[in-house]
Order: sequence, then structure tokens, then C-alpha cells
Amino acid sequence: MEIRTTLFNEIAGKEIRNTYARAFLKAMPAAIAARREAVMSSFPDPDAAQACGQAIRAEVVARLPELLEQFEQNAVARGAKVLWARDAHEANGIVLAIARERKAPYVTKGKSMVTEEMGLNDVLVEEGIEPFETDLGEFIAQQLKRPPFHIVGPAINIPVEEVCDLFMEKAGMEEPTTDPVELGYAARLFLRNKFHHVALGVTGVNMAVAETGTIVNLENEGNIRFNKSSPRTQVSIMSIEKVVPTMADAMHLTRLLSRNCTGQAISAYVSMDSGPKGGGEIDGPEELFIIIVDNGRSEIYADPTARQALRCIRCGGCLNLCPVYAKIGGYPYGWAYSGPMGQVLTPLLLGLDRAQDLYRACTLCGSCREVCPAGIDHPSLFLYYRAKDVEGDRRLRGKRRPWKEFGFFDLWSRAVAHSTLWNLGVRLVRPFVNRYSRGGVITTMGKYFEGWFRTRNLPAIAEKTFHERWKRLRRDTVSGDPDGRRGEP
Amino acid sequence: MSKEKTVGHSARDEILGKLKRIPKGAMLPRPAMPPLREISLDREQMVATFIEKLTREEGVVCRVSDGSEAVARLTEIAAQEDLRKVMVSTDTVIAPLGLPVWGRERGITVLTPGDFSTRDSFRDAVFDEVQAGITGVNYAVAESGTIVIVHDAHQPRLVSLAPILHIALIPTTRIVPTYEQAVEAIYGDTKDIPSHVTFTTGPSMTADIMGKPFKGMHGPRRLMVILIG
Repeated sequence: MEIRTTLFNEIAGKEIRNTYARAFLKAMPAAIAARREAVMSSFPDPDAAQACGQAIRAEVVARLPELLEQFEQNAVARGAKVLWARDAHEANGIVLAIARERKAPYVTKGKSMVTEEMGLNDVLVEEGIEPFETDLGEFIAQQLKRPPFHIVGPAINIPVEEVCDLFMEKAGMEEPTTDPVELGYAARLFLRNKFHHVALGVTGVNMAVAETGTIVNLENEGNIRFNKSSPRTQVSIMSIEKVVPTMADAMHLTRLLSRNCTGQAISAYVSMDSGPKGGGEIDGPEELFIIIVDNGRSEIYADPTARQALRCIRCGGCLNLCPVYAKIGGYPYGWAYSGPMGQVLTPLLLGLDRAQDLYRACTLCGSCREVCPAGIDHPSLFLYYRAKDVEGDRRLRGKRRPWKEFGFFDLWSRAVAHSTLWNLGVRLVRPFVNRYSRGGVITTMGKYFEGWFRTRNLPAIAEKTFHERWKRLRRDTVSGDPDGRRGEP
Repeated sequence: MSKEKTVGHSARDEILGKLKRIPKGAMLPRPAMPPLREISLDREQMVATFIEKLTREEGVVCRVSDGSEAVARLTEIAAQEDLRKVMVSTDTVIAPLGLPVWGRERGITVLTPGDFSTRDSFRDAVFDEVQAGITGVNYAVAESGTIVIVHDAHQPRLVSLAPILHIALIPTTRIVPTYEQAVEAIYGDTKDIPSHVTFTTGPSMTADIMGKPFKGMHGPRRLMVILIG
């Protein structure tokens, strides 16, 4: 997937004029919020349930290395092959080697955000192994070569006419239709044939249970279950933070994930693998590979503040309530993760320098923090990223600012803190600043201030400031001009 | 594989090494959470809750008093759905019902996983030939109308997944209030953990095209449940 995080403003500018997506985005948050609220009320104390999820995720992050070791030990004891990958390149290489060795002409895939992060599909295509995304939305997004619009509905914004054309061309659909249900069944038929003969299935992992060595996946369509049932080889890919301590924890997180994600009590399917199929079983994988991917996370782990980003369980609850996401949709975030979740994760995974606008495109309203079942404090993280970026933090790859900008803000902070300096400053810069005034409004001041003016205008500085007029007024009143008008232009 | 393993191993030590060098973060105490209401339900209440929740997810539920009534109900369903060929699991709920004989008497081909010598021929049958998969379940969870299946040689994964209709038979004694009771029973003995366990709540579904929800995306379009007892 092409990374377009530096084009945030450009794409947002375009998307905000996309009336079709806007209509959808307008209706979505209220609908999801209502469903979520209804299903959260099945907990005797919904707040306590959320707090419990947050504590589980906090514990995972605190105990990460020992939980990973325990998970590996138990998964291996059940017969799974556990492989580790430092980065996307290494992880892709492992999948590729497994696919080649088994001479798989194609692979079917369940939705997995980490494989999007790795760019696995592109690598497989280059090597002549065709990957088929099998989640309906992901299948559409893949065929259209678009990033996910929403983590749960990656192509939910695509008009039916476009889906129809696509399926006629790429999914062997014979009769055109604009009925979403008929379109879905066309995809079912096409992908069913793939599932029937597939040799290698790839899935992500929602939770990896340390206590039992079990991987857990949540889904609604059944495509992940097919990937775990039909092929002889199953490859399940997880990032390091997916581990949870116990089965009981996994059950509680299953409840929270489903509720915060789609407003369901539980997704239609939850499947749990502890090793490959047993002897005598006629389906299920003969070999189960679990690939544990770091891809920059151990660096994030070293930063005590940023570390909390690893709590994220990818429910997408934050997207559904974000006022910024609700205007621009998922495309401007430019990569696998959109909405507040993407604003938290992407800058850490790609570097603060490559995601400049992501952590600034936020009003700090805190809706995401309120809904987060993992206990992430998004707004505080955004402020932290902004500060680290300006400072040029090396670990987080902050961009740092030119000395002129530092100098300017140094002067600025002194000037605004002292009334005499401020008044003097205003008088000094007024002729310079007002040169840019057009009808009393300043919209640009040359290239040094380009960034500031991109989203703001400034009124021209008054010929006489209030202070100047006040001083004059008092002097004139004292010297016998009660109207204080002498000297006014 | 040898190359994969070396890469995998040094990566492992490097990743874990990096994580371990960092001091442990603060651990919040687990806050107390009031138990779920379902915990205090008696059996009849659990059955009622299970039916209510599963019906809401568009599962079709009926209740019979014993195994022979369950078979009678299956006969009705077979007639109503015009079933000619079905795949049945041979788990402890289904096996005693003698469905192959039942099928022969009624002109319905009843296949079992044991009839197939290769996984490919089994795959062909379950994907393309049968009109329904009939299985027992290990547990049913009142909390959300969920059925829990432990897959093994008698309960292959695809029987409840590939056919367009899934018919599940559930003795009411197997209903538990919440997921935790099922999970404790399945995973409690860590020496004997099954390779594959699934939770199913209603038919397969999606809403990926314009948010329009419908059933039967990849898995069964319909889920029928016969509660026994």
C-alpha cells in the first residue's frame, strides 16, 4: 500500500467535498453510538467493564516480554511454529518463503491490519502469488487499490454502481445489479471457489492468549474461519502487543471489542486455535505458523509515554465518534490505520516527521479517549507528539524546526508576557505586517509564515491600538478636550 | 525452512532483549467488576435468554423434549427445505440419533466425515454437494445466544461453515450462563486443549456494502437450532 500520510491536507480537502461520503459519515456516528449504548447496558456497570478492559491492556503493556515468552512456549507446546520478525521486510519474507515452499499459486486472506502495515499483498503480487482479501469490504478496497475507509467497513463508502462495475470486471459477476445483497452474493460465489481449493490461508490475530498459547479471531462473515479450516497451511500474523494474559481476559476483551466496534454483543464468529489440527481431523491446517511482528514497536515501548499506544485493540470505537473523521473519512490518514487510532499509531510507526498533519488534525475534544476500551489518552499523546516533533526527538523521529522558527517563538513568548514589550512590538511590526493587508484582512505574509496562514487569517493591526487611543483619550480629557477627539484622523 | 528458523531466532532474541531492557511500566490493579446478570439465571431462564438472544440475531430456534422428537423435527425441516443431501458430524449429540439410517429410510443422502478418505473429497462434498450441515454443539451461552463447538475428528470445522444451512442440535443441559463457564470447561485442563474452538452467534453476516446488513456472506445464510430437553 502506498503511504500517503504527508498528503493529509490535500486528500482531506478533496474528501470534504465528496458529498456521497459526507452523507454517509453524517449518518454513521449517531447510528453506531445508539447501538453501542444499547449493548453496553448489558453490563451491570458499563464503566466498570470498560475500566476492567483498560486494566487488562495496561497489564499487557507492562508485562509484554514475559507474556510473549509464555505465549510462545505454550503455542509451540501445542504444535504451532512461532516465528519472529523484526520488521515488515522480514515478516513478508517469512510468508513468502512458506508460500513458495508449498507452491501455493494464490493465498486467501482474512482481514489483518498488520499485513496492511507490512504491505504483504504487494510483495506477494510481485512474486507471482495472488493474494485474495476475503472480507467483503477488504476485497472491494483491494480490487480498487484504495486504503481502508474505516477499520470495520473498509469500502463502506463505495457507491453500489462502482462495486457493480468492479464485480463485473474482476469477480465474474454476469448480470449487473445495484442491490448490495446481490453484490455480496456475487462476491460470496467468487471467493467460495477460492476457499474451496486454497492451499494457504493468511489471517491476523485479535488476541494471543499467553496462558494457553491460543490465538483468537473475531469476525462476522466467516471468511477467517474458512482460512482456518480449508487450507493445509495456516499463517497467522500478529504484532507483539496482541498478547493477553488469560482466556478469561480474552473473553472480557471479546465483549468490549464487539461492543465498541460494531455495537454487537459478540461478533458472529469467534475462532480459537491452539496449534494445528489434531490427528484424525479431516480439515483444518496440518501446520500452523504464527508470525510475531515487531516493526518498530519495541522502539515505541522504550518511550514511557508513547508506550500506551500499544494498548490499542483496533476496535475502531474512536473513529465512530471523532468529529474530524466524521468530516473527512478514512482516506486522508494515508495508511492502514485511520481516525484517532491512526493518529496515535501511524506517527509512531512511520516517525513523527512523516505524519506531521496527523497529530495536528485534532480539536483535542477527547471523544476518543472517553470511548476507548483500552484506556488510551489520545489528546495527551497528540500534545506529546507535537512537542517531541518540534524538539526533534531522535527516537520518535521528530522533524525539529529551523532556528529562525525557534528564534521567532522565543521572542514571541517573551513579548507576549510583558505589556511594555508587547506594545513596543506592535508598534514596531505594524508597518511591516500591514503591508500584507487586503481590505483589513491578512491571508499571507510570505513563506516563513506559510504554515501558520494555511488554516488561518489575521485581521490587520489597527492604525491605533486600544491602548494608544486610551492613552490619548486620557491625556486629552485632562488637557480640556472632553470629547477626546482631537488628533483623530 | 532452515533459513527461516535462523532469521526467526535471532529476531526473537533481539525483540525480546529490547523489550526486557526497559523497566516494567506501572500496573493498574484490576478494578472490581460486578458479575454479569446472567450468572444468577436458573436453567429455564437460561434457555429463555438463549432463545431470545439468538432469535434477535436471526437464528431460528425450536425446542423438543427428547432425541426422537429432535429427529422428527429434522424430518419436518428436511421436507420443508427439500433436503436431498446433507453432511452430519458424528459428535456425541448427533451420533446416537442414527441419522444415516434415518436418511436411507427417507431418500436423503446423509454423509459423515468418516465416509471420506481424503480431505479434498471431503472438501468437494461440503462445499458443493450438500444442502445443509447438521452438528451438535458442546455448549450454548445464554449471555448472547452463542453456540460453542469444540472441533475434532467427529466435529470437522467445515460442516458448520461451508453449507448454506447449518442445523445445530443442543441438549438444554449444555446451556451455560456466560462464556467463562464454557471456556473454563474447555481450557481448564491445560494438558488437554482442543486445536480449534468456535463461537457462533447467528448466521454469517456483513454490512460492508453501504452499511446494508445481510446474512450469509461466506458462512451459512441460515442457522436453525433444535433445543433438546
